[in-house]
Amino acid sequence: MSLSDRIEKLLMSVQKPVRYMGGEFNAVMKDADAVDVRYAFLFPDTYEVGMSHLGMKILYHAINARDDCWCERAFSPWVDMAELMRRDNIPLFSLESRTPVKEFDLLGITLQYEMSFTNILEALDLAGIPLRSAERTEGPFVIVGGPCAFNPEPLVPFVDLVALGDGEEETLQTIDVYQQWKVSGLPRSEYLKMAAKIPGIYVPSLYDVAYNDDGTVRSVTPKPGSGAPEVVMKAMVKDLDSAVYPEKLIVPYGEIVHNRIMLEIFRGCTRGCRFCQAGMIYRPVRERSIERLMALAEKLVSSTGYDEISLMSLSSGDYSCLPELAHRMVEKFAAKRVRIALPSQRIDNVLTDTLKETQKVKKTALTLAPEAGTQRLRDVINKGVTEADLMRSVTDAFDQGWSAVKLYFMLGLPTETDEDVLGIADLAEKVRKCYFSIPKERRAPGLRITVSASVFVPKNDTPFQWSPQLDYDTVVHRQQLLRQALSRLKGVDFKYHAPDISYIEAVFARGDRRLGEALERAWRLGCRFDGWSDQFKYDMWLQAFADEGLDPDFYATRERPLDEVFPWDHLDCGVTKQYFLREWAKAQRAECTHDCRKGCTGCGMKRYEGACV
Amino acid sequence: MRAMIRFGKQPRLRFISHLDLQRFFQRAVNRTGLPIAWSQGFNPHPVMSFGSALALGWTSEYEIIDIKLSAPMGRKRTEDAIRAALPEDLPVLEVRMVDDRHAAPMALVKMADYRVDLEGESAPAVLEQIPAFMARETVTAMKKTKSGEKEINARPMVIELTPDDTGFNARLMLTERESIKPDLLVALLAEMAGVEPPEARIHRLMLLGEDAEGRLRPLMEL
Repeated sequence: MSLSDRIEKLLMSVQKPVRYMGGEFNAVMKDADAVDVRYAFLFPDTYEVGMSHLGMKILYHAINARDDCWCERAFSPWVDMAELMRRDNIPLFSLESRTPVKEFDLLGITLQYEMSFTNILEALDLAGIPLRSAERTEGPFVIVGGPCAFNPEPLVPFVDLVALGDGEEETLQTIDVYQQWKVSGLPRSEYLKMAAKIPGIYVPSLYDVAYNDDGTVRSVTPKPGSGAPEVVMKAMVKDLDSAVYPEKLIVPYGEIVHNRIMLEIFRGCTRGCRFCQAGMIYRPVRERSIERLMALAEKLVSSTGYDEISLMSLSSGDYSCLPELAHRMVEKFAAKRVRIALPSQRIDNVLTDTLKETQKVKKTALTLAPEAGTQRLRDVINKGVTEADLMRSVTDAFDQGWSAVKLYFMLGLPTETDEDVLGIADLAEKVRKCYFSIPKERRAPGLRITVSASVFVPKNDTPFQWSPQLDYDTVVHRQQLLRQALSRLKGVDFKYHAPDISYIEAVFARGDRRLGEALERAWRLGCRFDGWSDQFKYDMWLQAFADEGLDPDFYATRERPLDEVFPWDHLDCGVTKQYFLREWAKAQRAECTHDCRKGCTGCGMKRYEGACV
Repeated sequence: MRAMIRFGKQPRLRFISHLDLQRFFQRAVNRTGLPIAWSQGFNPHPVMSFGSALALGWTSEYEIIDIKLSAPMGRKRTEDAIRAALPEDLPVLEVRMVDDRHAAPMALVKMADYRVDLEGESAPAVLEQIPAFMARETVTAMKKTKSGEKEINARPMVIELTPDDTGFNARLMLTERESIKPDLLVALLAEMAGVEPPEARIHRLMLLGEDAEGRLRPLMEL
């Protein structure tokens, strides 16, 4: 029986068989014998999550635009499917042609989230690929990229290449070099050395790590004669207008998390919020022109049939011509009944006019992220937003018929006190008052305020990379403090989670190469889908660290001295460690740094030719 | 004007639920570029209806979707546009342009023809029961309904049943009041044989209705 038939047999008895089905509209089919390189792109989470991810769509399109290459998708099978695949000896397979992933030339894996790392080991094992890079003698080279690639150290025993920065061009270069290597007939290790010369590609096996007696890193240096650079600079696409962008998107059958057209209006962020890794590693800001966006939107609407377009970026309100863009989009697509959505709105420039435009088509909950409850703490994190900004935004929104507001905060930010946490409840109360300040006949009925508080995770490549994560007990205390304070407010919901997932996330975000042992141990104990609270097994994780003689507190809750060498110091995200240090010092003094659109703040991006204009 | 489209559902897509297929067609009609008629009201949507829901896991060569157009269109252009908007595993098999007064496909359906292939040890024993089944006047079955289970006489709902080596062809009633699904039929035959039901691959061959003279006709020809 063919592999495809054997897969079909399983689909009768698993949850959501559409996850494994393939055959969607706009999925790319090619003749496997007519292409030179077969590329498997694995998203290490479920189909519904992975299919909602823009980066995968961009790279799928970029690779498939080449006639000599076929990119197919793979996702982590849910635990029920994985169990049946093991029972029936079915290897991890691609969705398009149902080919075993092991038979591909290259396996690209995106690292969106530390808590998907065990899924990567699970996928490699299901694929029948040896877990450790050093043990592989055949099969695909394993390439990881995405935000977590800026500290891939806990994962490096299991990967061959790490792609830093924008993937559009460097991914194609890894394919070019693969073709050269294949023709050359040289041993497997030579591909790694050849790839190490591609801008943005880091080959961890070519580096030695030395440790100090206290367990911190002393140095990470290229192996003599390897030819690998001492510091790997990230790859950067200078001009998004000329960069490749999909004109067709796969349209899934089942419902996925974000089932709509995603249109990236710009990349990067100039704000400089000190907790935000994305705001650092995606620098500098590069905008797509209105003309290009309008043309892409038109093609995507007609090729997908979607009735909603999301304007994507880290801070869409900062797009330099947002009112014009929003106006033109709404005008063009209203007749086709296509809605335009602006996600991740920042409270200081939700434009009243834009709100009016989007409202014409559809009204959703207003989402705002003040992040902290007091001005002092917002200054510490450099969230350049005042209470007056927030009140103006919500009052405008309530005045125009909104009645639902979501407010996002973090608990455990550096220097936070109980008073800062109670400030969150204070803000929620003031938002309520704004609603009731609108005359009853003008405002929409049914006020709903949702306050969500996540636990702050200090990330590498941010000014807070020196900061300890707040200890577990204090987090729980502050959650309860806030819960009690908010319970007195009518119409306010409070959402929060146990801090255990955030703790493990903090361990891996700033982890080193030795953590690979604990990662493998945790996977062997049965950890999977750790980002899913119903699957997360905290006890197993603690056992895994203990088994490997590693102290998770060393990584998560230890305050790091200013002169410490970090496990990721040899990977350059574009922003310098000196800039992060300056920002960390200013944070202690609750001093703000202005948006760099108002003048260069010296983050280091100017080292890239043509990066900042 | 309405376009009545017959399409197939190939094995690869047999796990798309009816609800997901409805959502899929909402987007598919958007990308046809055809002048689609939209419903009025608070939450407008393209005006379309289906013949009969196909159960999860079944395949078909006789699924019908009926799409209302806001302007007249030629049959060929409509067919080409629909074909371009569907993946290869949902092949367009027949398109007919009908007047707005033409009855909705759902209201026309009386019966359906199926091909059922059986796999597993109990398959021969099940197939052997077919003559006995057809010879009976009453076969009591429990049918799942929205409000629980009710007892029905399954026998008169089975119009024709023709066994062969690997399975059988069946013509079964398919109306709101009287209907029996092929998997229930397999279960009844297995019960008569005193065996576990074998695995059944179910494929819909045709939907049928009655013409003005009461003669059975394929739905697309009514």
